[in-house]
Order: sequence, then structure tokens, then C-alpha cells
Amino acid sequence: MIKLYDYELSGNCYKLRLLMSFLGIEYASELIDFYPGNQHKAEAFRQINPLGQLPVIDDDGLVLRDAQAILVYLASKYDGSGQWYPTDSPQMLGQISQWLALADAITATASAARLHDALFYNHIDIDAARNGAHRLFRMLDEHLWFAEDTGQDWICPGDHPTIADIACFPYTILSEEGGISRMDYPAIRRWCDRFKRIPGFTVMSGVFPAGPAVDAA
Amino acid sequence: MPEFTCKDPVALNLWHVIASVEEVADGSVQRTQLLGDQVAFTQRADGDFIVWRPTDSNSDSVPSDPAVLLPVQQKYGYIWTTFGTPEHDIFAIPEFDESDRRNIHAATFGVHVSAPRAIENFLDMGHFPYVHTDILGAEPHTEVKEYYVDVSEERDEIVATNCKFWQPMAAAGSTDGADVDYIYRVPHPYCSVLYKSCPGEESRLDAVAVFVQPVDEEHVRAHMMLTLIDEVSADTAIRLFQQTIFGQDKPILENQYPKRLPLDPRAETPIRADKSAIAYRRWLTGKGITYGVIPSAA
Amino acid sequence: MTTDLHSNWYPIASSSDLPNRHVYQAQLLGREFAVWRADDGYVNVWENRCLHRGVRLSIGINDGQELKCQYHGWRYANRTAGCTYIPAHPADAPSRTICNNTYPAQEAHGMVWAGEMAVGEVPALDGFEAATVLRPIPLNAPQEMVSNSLLAYSFADGCSGAPNEDGSVTITAGDGAAVRFYVQPVNSNHSVIRGILNKELTGSERLSSLKLHDWKLQELRSKVEAEAAQSEPLAPMEPVFARVSELLSELPHETTDGRTAELRVTVTKKSMTAEGIVSLRFDSIKGQLPTFQPGAHIDVHLQNGLIRQYSLTNGPGETDHYTIGVKREPDSRGGSVSIHDAVKKGDLLAVSAPRNNFPLRRDAVHTIFVAGGIGVTPLISMARTLNSQGHSFEFHYFVQSKNHAAFKQEMGEFDKALTLHEGLSPDETGAKLREVLSAPGDSRHVYICGPGPMLEATRDIADAQGWPDGAIHFEYFKNTIELDDSNSFQLDLARSAMTLNVPAGKTILEVLRENGINMASSCEQGACGTCRVGVIEGDVIHQDVYLSPGEKAEGKSIMTCVSRAASDRLILDI
Repeated sequence: MIKLYDYELSGNCYKLRLLMSFLGIEYASELIDFYPGNQHKAEAFRQINPLGQLPVIDDDGLVLRDAQAILVYLASKYDGSGQWYPTDSPQMLGQISQWLALADAITATASAARLHDALFYNHIDIDAARNGAHRLFRMLDEHLWFAEDTGQDWICPGDHPTIADIACFPYTILSEEGGISRMDYPAIRRWCDRFKRIPGFTVMSGVFPAGPAVDAA
Repeated sequence: MPEFTCKDPVALNLWHVIASVEEVADGSVQRTQLLGDQVAFTQRADGDFIVWRPTDSNSDSVPSDPAVLLPVQQKYGYIWTTFGTPEHDIFAIPEFDESDRRNIHAATFGVHVSAPRAIENFLDMGHFPYVHTDILGAEPHTEVKEYYVDVSEERDEIVATNCKFWQPMAAAGSTDGADVDYIYRVPHPYCSVLYKSCPGEESRLDAVAVFVQPVDEEHVRAHMMLTLIDEVSADTAIRLFQQTIFGQDKPILENQYPKRLPLDPRAETPIRADKSAIAYRRWLTGKGITYGVIPSAA
Repeated sequence: MTTDLHSNWYPIASSSDLPNRHVYQAQLLGREFAVWRADDGYVNVWENRCLHRGVRLSIGINDGQELKCQYHGWRYANRTAGCTYIPAHPADAPSRTICNNTYPAQEAHGMVWAGEMAVGEVPALDGFEAATVLRPIPLNAPQEMVSNSLLAYSFADGCSGAPNEDGSVTITAGDGAAVRFYVQPVNSNHSVIRGILNKELTGSERLSSLKLHDWKLQELRSKVEAEAAQSEPLAPMEPVFARVSELLSELPHETTDGRTAELRVTVTKKSMTAEGIVSLRFDSIKGQLPTFQPGAHIDVHLQNGLIRQYSLTNGPGETDHYTIGVKREPDSRGGSVSIHDAVKKGDLLAVSAPRNNFPLRRDAVHTIFVAGGIGVTPLISMARTLNSQGHSFEFHYFVQSKNHAAFKQEMGEFDKALTLHEGLSPDETGAKLREVLSAPGDSRHVYICGPGPMLEATRDIADAQGWPDGAIHFEYFKNTIELDDSNSFQLDLARSAMTLNVPAGKTILEVLRENGINMASSCEQGACGTCRVGVIEGDVIHQDVYLSPGEKAEGKSIMTCVSRAASDRLILDI
């Protein structure tokens, strides 16, 4: 079974819990005392990931780090439908990679602001982190607004979400813990509701479920 | 010494937690904020902790004049200090000293809310099914049954007893829900201790304490300490459970408006389930506290 | 801040910002709003703050009918914002006065308009009616600075800008294409530009135009934000939060007065829903109807002077009207006949605000409804509520025949949970009820409403099968006990320190009213429970059907409309 080195409050770990829940993959969480124990910086964990970062998976001996990389791996290997990561479409792969990079930028800003406010990462330049997140959210909101206007629900074209949505979701929905309001981003707020209604969606601490969707009937 | 930012004598004369001993053990100088002012602290070579107000925002030098040091106590695994002259000693948690208990520092989290709002949430059971879904409560079991609230004159603290709330998987390993018993104490305007029936031993209670450090009127550091009778669970699992629970409360607290706790009875709408919160607001009003609250206009 | 600002209408959202089952977060002049569209299309603009503990309602859940607060699950009704359920106290009906703050709102020109104290109509947009609404652009700059900079906005050759009386700005191009901009003052240093084109565009033309303006406005935003960053930021606006009413700040709150009919409604629909059963829909002639809860009833003041109680059958969120069902009673004293024969569509009637003596718990693991005949009405409202919120229930409806089953359309929602029992004899009904009630258990509840004999039978069966008293909830819609008012006795009122005499032929309630004590009442025949009062001393002859046998034996309360003293003296807790 896949082993996930996991910490409940980590948005990056949450990305993998989400995908594995959407795909119905069984996995075992190995709980890491990220805080206050700093276990991810301890020698035992650095032997698994020299960067001292979560998440990491161990799938039958294949050890992988980096949330986005693991999303690519898990979706390619376990999603029989090929919808979360359509490996047969160069256009889609290009677009997904572009948004995975944006997800990394959201992590570098919105997640940093959250660590500053909640866990006192005082070395972070909080104004720069918040302003940076707002710049990204303006762009994401514009993108999603025009997507909606042409009948598209998700970040990438098509009628099914992709790992780009998964990668962007956690630190967007948690942004307010870093003092970054989403009031100015109504299209992002609607996309968050749609994301929460994907079958198999699970919550993490700080994320509440959406209410029922309008009946298809 | 410059004036304090906080002008509330009640808050100035309280003992406040500023850090877990566990997190400062490396001997370096660290900083935090209390009641709107910077404080620095470190552990000296002799093992004692010292706390002072740094005069220079960049310098981490330890003051040479002992007269500028603030009072310090080490209690329950935390460093406590004060800006004034506390009337009382730090309140008692007798369970902490019982030899067969495990005392665990679960976390210190920053939250954008006032200290009294954080305490009031800690006293509240009605939110369990909605905020701690499937852990501390679950719909449709939403009733808050009658409980008792007393303000102990002798100890100057609020005590809520006979509290019961339905919890899924009430005992370790069980799949059935049942009522769990709680007792709540508020022995300090910004601190609270809850006692909860403990799965292993019927006659004893596990305790969870929250010591809220008012960073300023609308920001806190919430320090969480557990004292448990549990020989099974690993520290990590216990900590992570508590962090999961607190992480669920965080977005609620950060979405409360106004952030300071309104003491005017007509500011919000209490129900019977809020008896302990009502007693808490009255108790704060009686103390004349103004920091972190919106005092009643009348 | 001038009052003018607060009485203006401002667009605060595009219509497309409000899909169903979403809660939109807005801010105007420093005050936050939770904005949500109910499934019936109504747009609610509420203060973004649950009155209970101040939590933002924009993190709550829009279930299509009600908004549910994320913190304690309090539910607030579409339109009225009245609280319909407090889960911490499932057995109680919330006081109907618990109500969130709502603000005037209108949906027009593809946008949602609101204002703290706005009255009248939103601005007329001559030439912009069939409009294309641009993507709104939020920016960190004061409203005035944004409006000024918009005057120089250019999107085509020959653009010129002009301010309008309502504060908006119109930019007209050489070819007549025009855009009108409203600037929503979010807070002192924060605004949203909302633009409307004077043409309805479609397809690629629409998309390219939207993109062009989006780009141009973002360029403008960069410039204005840079300018704003140079100037001293204004202090944020601090909206004043209204205080809750004194009644709500205290724990116990109860009592409204007696049979007043404060509402005027029009009969907007009258139709036969089953053999001998008519359904009526009432719409308010002015303002909103008060919040109802499932199980509630209203007093209907009939044209012939009679007052009758009827349960509402409305589902959650159906807050723009009341619906009742009335059976023609052959031995009626004139109430049901008058409704069947005299009341017609378009008539004006006086009704009371809804009262709820039959509250629905929603903390049951499973709920069993047992309805007999016209007793079905309050149970329909209850079951629709549980159904819409996904709670488990079953609904047993005992009728003479299929043709006597009312409200078939509403009950169609219940699907497999509904069982129709047709034409059973009393014995067969008893056997069926024994089967239905065969499994008492924790957190299971039974709600019964129907004719007296069936109700008695159901209560006896439930008792015999081991159901606890507290799990059986019932409502009589009629008291068939023969009333005896032949004795006289002395009445002491403990709290009012009064001593009164109740003579033969008068009820306690009548004597209290004659002496200026304003008592709530409704059916005035011992069935509804409204006029219940605590008994401190004395024995009671109970002539009501509301109290349970246990409560009657205990003797701690009395229905003042029908019951009397068995002793010479009765001390009441009023």
C-alpha cells in the first residue's frame, strides 16, 4: 500500500489526500510531527527527503517528494480514465504544467503568509507574501471568470477537473489564515464551491464542506 | 522604561504565558509580543528563564541590569510573565502534578482574534457537530443539555459542570456514539481548562488547557497543554489530534465580527446553551477588563 | 460620511456572481454583506454576521431554501432572515423575532443593487437596459479617485467621458458605443468598478469586447493604485452594528399577546386538493410575511367573524406566501363551510403571525410521521423540512380513500418515505399502527396529528410499545371533550399579586383578559397549547387535549382557555 508521510495541517499533503480520495486509492498515513516536533528536519526524515519537506510518498519502494510531482505520478499511474492528467493530450499537459507552476507560486506566497501568521515563521516578509498572493489571485480570478463565461468549470479546458485544480485548491482555500481575503475574487470563490462538490472530496482542518448542489433533476 | 501600549490595569496585572519551555530550549534569544509590546526571553546557563522588553528592535543582547527584567514563572511547561503586579498566583491545575499523567505541549498557534473570543469558543459545545464534524460531534445529535454554571467566589473562577455532549466513537476503539462528560473552568480571563471523561479510567478525567497570550487586542497565540491518563497513544498522535481540532476552530474564530468580545448583553443573541459564555461575559464585566473586549456602553 | 452615501443604491454584484447554492461576500461603505440566491430566485442581502456569535454568514451554507451558519448550524429563512431552527435546543421553537439584519436589494440590469438605507428604485439606465455586464474590477483606491480617473477611460476612437447625476460615469466612443461605470465604495481605500455596455453582444464579439475592457480596466487599475499608494490612506470605515432587541439579550423570551391578526393577506389561489379539502394560498399585501417554522399555525379571521386555526403546509424557504388546507366539516360551526363556500380568490383576509406549539426536532436519527385525514397539514411542512435537509423519516398517511389524500404534489417529494393507508377500519388502523410503532429507540421520534380517537389510539399504542413520553409529539386540531364550566373558584396570581374570582360560565382566560392581563391564546378550545400557564398551588380539572396524561397528573400547568380549578383556590404563576 502507498505510504504517505503526512501532516494534517499541511496543504501540500492535503493535495495528495484529495487525489487519492478522488481516485479511491488506499493509502496509509505516516504521521510526521511537523510542529512543534520539527520531525521533517530531523535526520531520520532527511534520509527520506534531503530537502526536509512534506509530503513524500513511498509506493512499493518508489520514494517521491514534491506535491506536484506526486500528483503527476499518482494520476498517471492510477487514474484509468485519464481525466485527471490526460497523458495523451500535449495541449492539456502543457496547460496543466503551467498551472502546476502557478500552484507552486501560490504555495510560496499564500502558504508562507499562513506559516508566518499561524506558526510564527518570522523570517518571512509578510507584506511581500500577501501582495504576491493577491497578484496571483487576480490572475486566477480573471482566468476562471472567462472560463465560466464560456461554460468551463475548471482551470483547464474540458468538463472534468485536473490535477491543476487539486494543486491550486488547498493554499487558495486556506489563504485567509495568512490574512489574504478572497472577497475580491468571486470567481475563485465559486470555483472553490465547485471543487468541494467533486465526488470523493474530503476536508482538512480549516476547510469546511460545501452544501448540497442543486439537484441535476 | 517606556510606557506600555496596553492601558488596561486588569490585563497588565495578570500573569501571561509567552512560550512553551519546550520550544525555547536551545538557549537563543527569542521574541514575541504581549499586550501590544515586544518581549524578549531566553534561558540562562543556570537553566532559569529571563524575560525583558527589548529597547532596540534589532538587538538581541541580553540586558546586563537585572532591574529591567520582568517577573518570570515557569509553570505547566510554559514561561509566564507579567507587566504589573499580579494579585493572585497562577491558578492551580492539580492534575498536572499527578505522577501517572502525561503532560504534553500540543501546539502554539497564532490566531487573528481576541483572547476572550478564543476562550468563549473553548467553552462552547454547540459547535461540535458543525465544526468538529465526526470527531467531537455529528448531526443529528446537536442538543446541548442543561448544565450548571457557578462563579466560585473563593477561587474567583467560573466552573461549568454536568456538561454532556454526544460524541461519535466516544471510547477508543468503539464505533458507537455516546454522551461524553465535560467540566469547564475559567480561572483567568484568558485561560481555560476543560476536563473530559477519559476512556481508560472511569473515575478520572483528562484535562486540556488553553493559555491564550494576547499579542494585541485582536491577535493571540493560543498555547495548548494536555494532561492525560493514556498509556497507549504516541505523543505525536495526541498532538496531531489536538492540532486537528484547533485547526478546525481557527477559521471560525478568524471570521468572527467584531473581533473583540462585545460585553454589551444586546450585542449578540445568547441561548440557554450559552450559559457559560454569559457567565464569562458578566465575569469579565465585573472585573472591569477592557483589553480584547468591547465594554458595555452603559 | 454623509447620510446620502448610505441612502444610495450601489451595484454590489453581477447577477452571474450568484449561482444557486453559493454565498457571495460583498462589502459596501465598510459594512460586509452575505449575498445569496435562493432556489426560487430571490436575492438575499444580509449583514455578514450571524446574530448569535458574530460569525460571517458568507462561510455558511446556502441549501437553496435557508442559509445555515457554519458555527452552530442556526438556520435562517429565505427573504425574512428569521431564524427557523437552533440545533442546540432541538425541542424548542426559536422565538420568531430572532432575525438577521437584511438590507434593501434589487436585481436589475444584470446586477444586484443594495444600499444600507436605499429606498425607491435603482437608477434608470436609459440606453443600457439590454446590456452586457463587464467583469468587475476590484481595486485598492478610494471611490472618488477611481471615478475621476474613469472620466479619461478610452476603449475606442473618439471616447469622451461624462459624469452622471447618480455618481456613475459614461464613456461614449465616436461610433456611439458606450460604457457606463459604477464605482462601488467597498471601504475608504477599496472600490470595485462595475461597467455595463449599451449593447447586448453575443458570441465572439462579446468575448473580445469583454476581454478588451478587462485589459483596459486592469491598466487603469495599475495607474490608480499607484496614485493611491502615493497618498495618505484614509481611515477605514467602521460600520455600526445594530444592537439586538432587549428581548433577545435575555435568556427566556416568550409571549406575544392574544388573538391579534396583524397581517393582511390576499387569497391568491384556491383549489380542491382532495375530496372535501380545499387548499388556499395567501400572499402578503404589503411587506414580507413573518418567518414560520415547520409545525406552525396561523389564526384566520373569517368574513363571518369566526377565528380558526390552520397549520401551514409550506416547505422551508417558501417564505413569500402561506398555504393552508381546510376540510369541509359537515357539523362545522361555520368555519370550514365559510372557507369552502364564501372565501374566494382575490379576497382580503386578516391572519395572525405564525405560532408554533408543535416544534419539530431535527436531532432524531429517524422520525415517524402519523397523519390522519386533514391532520396531515403540519406534518407536511415538517416532512418537507426533514426531506430537504436529508434527514431520515417515514410518513404514514391514513385516509378514507385515495381521493381523500390531500397535497399529493408536495408529498410526491417524499418518494419511498410515504405510505398511504386507505380505508382501514379502526381495528385495522390499530394493527397498522402497532406495526409502524414496533421499534422504539434512542433518538427516534414520532409526530402524530389526526382526529381525536386516532390520536388517542396512537398515543396508547406508542405507550404500550415502550415509547418514552418525550418521543411522542402530537397536535390535536380539535378538542372533542365536553366542556364543563359550571363551577366557580378563586384565582390568585402569584407574580401579579392579584386575586380574582372566576364565576360559572366564564373561563380563566376571559377573567384574566377582563382584568387587563394580556394572555397569548390561539384555538381557545384546549388543543393548541398557547395559553398554557404554570400552576403553583391547587388542583386542576383538565379539560384540554394538549397536555399529556403525565403532565396532567403532575398538575404543574393548566390550559386557561378550558380547564378549571377542582379546589376552591388556584395559584397561577403569572
